[in-house]
Amino acid sequence: MTARLLSGPSTAAGAESLAGHRARLGDLPGRTDRAHLIGMIDAAGLLGRGGAGFPVGRKWASVAGRAKGDAVVLANGAEGEPLAHKDRVLMASRPHLVLDGLELAAEAVGARRTVLYVGSEHVDARIALERALAERAANRTSPLPRVPTMLVTPPVSYIAGEESAAVHFVNIGDPRPTTVPPRPYEKGVGGRPTLVQNVESLAHVALIARYGADWYREAGRAETCGTALVTVTGGARPGVLEIDLGTTVGELAEWAGVSASVGSPVLLGGYFGTIISGAEAWRQPLDPVLLRRAGAAFGAGVVAFLGDEACGVTTTARIMDYMAGSSAAQCGPCVFGLRAIADASARIATGQPRQDDLSRLRGWSQSITGRGACRMPDGTTALLASSLRVYDADWTSHQHHRRCAMRRGARVGA
Amino acid sequence: MSGRRVLDSGQHIEIDRISCDAYGTCAELLPEGIDLDEWGYPVIAPGNVPAHLLDIAKRAVDNCPVLALRLVKVTAAKGAEPAPPPPVLAARRPETRPDRMEGTPPWPPRPANRPAKRGPEQRRRS
Repeated sequence: MTARLLSGPSTAAGAESLAGHRARLGDLPGRTDRAHLIGMIDAAGLLGRGGAGFPVGRKWASVAGRAKGDAVVLANGAEGEPLAHKDRVLMASRPHLVLDGLELAAEAVGARRTVLYVGSEHVDARIALERALAERAANRTSPLPRVPTMLVTPPVSYIAGEESAAVHFVNIGDPRPTTVPPRPYEKGVGGRPTLVQNVESLAHVALIARYGADWYREAGRAETCGTALVTVTGGARPGVLEIDLGTTVGELAEWAGVSASVGSPVLLGGYFGTIISGAEAWRQPLDPVLLRRAGAAFGAGVVAFLGDEACGVTTTARIMDYMAGSSAAQCGPCVFGLRAIADASARIATGQPRQDDLSRLRGWSQSITGRGACRMPDGTTALLASSLRVYDADWTSHQHHRRCAMRRGARVGA
Repeated sequence: MSGRRVLDSGQHIEIDRISCDAYGTCAELLPEGIDLDEWGYPVIAPGNVPAHLLDIAKRAVDNCPVLALRLVKVTAAKGAEPAPPPPVLAARRPETRPDRMEGTPPWPPRPANRPAKRGPEQRRRS
């Protein structure tokens, strides 16, 4: 597995110092013109790593085109996805890579202010970034002009990392999404065009600026080039690692100590992601383009092995309850829809289904999609729909026979 | 569809989901294009508003008690292909609710049986 972002000292050793960072990677190249750096990112084909997978170069170009030298860059390290750890590991171990990327972004889009937006629960990441900022202030070597950086720590919440919510929190302390348009790239922090970019994406840019687009494209084994950080859970050895895009789920299973013969379902992407059956999953390449074609998503780089022992219905019900509780409670279809989904799932999971619970779940998995200000309902219903597909027999058995196939047909509930 | 050509107004309805408070006025005024879900929130038919319904659509927009609706012109630049013909908005659908009457109060009060948006259980966390 290619290590780029995580090459150098072990992530367990804590934050890499500025001296270590410079000795290993050298200084950033001098001032290049904006179009050149954005062109390099485009040529590299870097896709955003916050979950949506939007092309990074295109995003930067649209902010640069509007900003007239007064943009804001917000490095998004909220990482509210419960299964993901990769952003906090990156921030805690390679803070200078993130800050290099932030400086480059500020230069490329024409920003006078930058914001580090770091989930308040990611304590190691915050400390590492604060120290790194102090190191850089005391020992200024970057050829790029200095741009003030503000560290902002949103409260623990799933939705605080959504880009309009991040802007909203920085502006008025309310970490809830706003109605778009205007999107942050049009009107964001302080009303200025704002680039909201995930911290891993920024760290990749720090390397692309040094080594070029062709170098970036050397990694990657399928359609999409480059490496990515993934969080693997559910095996004997959970953790964060860097993979070549296109690495298969089966290879990760081996790395994580999951027995390949198990072939149990896998949750890809995170709580906004997709459950796919073990039979498909094992040879599935982790590649944003191929995953989309397969009806899944790379999302926030989560690969969660769900195992054969756990009941898929119960697992899904738990996630649905988490999502309903995480709704920002602003849009009706999300407020009422996610709660209805969570309650019906819980009834089915615990063996107390109402007669039409399962058919209503199927309906809601379609009818709530696209009806919120943000993508909360869409992501949640996509996960639900995939669970209804993969665990079809289990949902049916729970609903109609109150028996759990996972637990060898044992009756569920009282 | 009956083969009769439906003229496209070139505009579609957008909803501010955060502002929307399920008054239901829009579905009352424009049942051809707006349905309500089981909690009273609007489900808008896909596609543009047909030309013959544009005036009614404007009334629905203007009469939303919280001004959550707008009509948005679909610019030609946005989608290179011409907008697909409106599939659902085509014909006035058989009425499933009482006929609209002249003098329908423009701002009906919130039905008493509907819970407030931010229910107490909503903030529950697992």
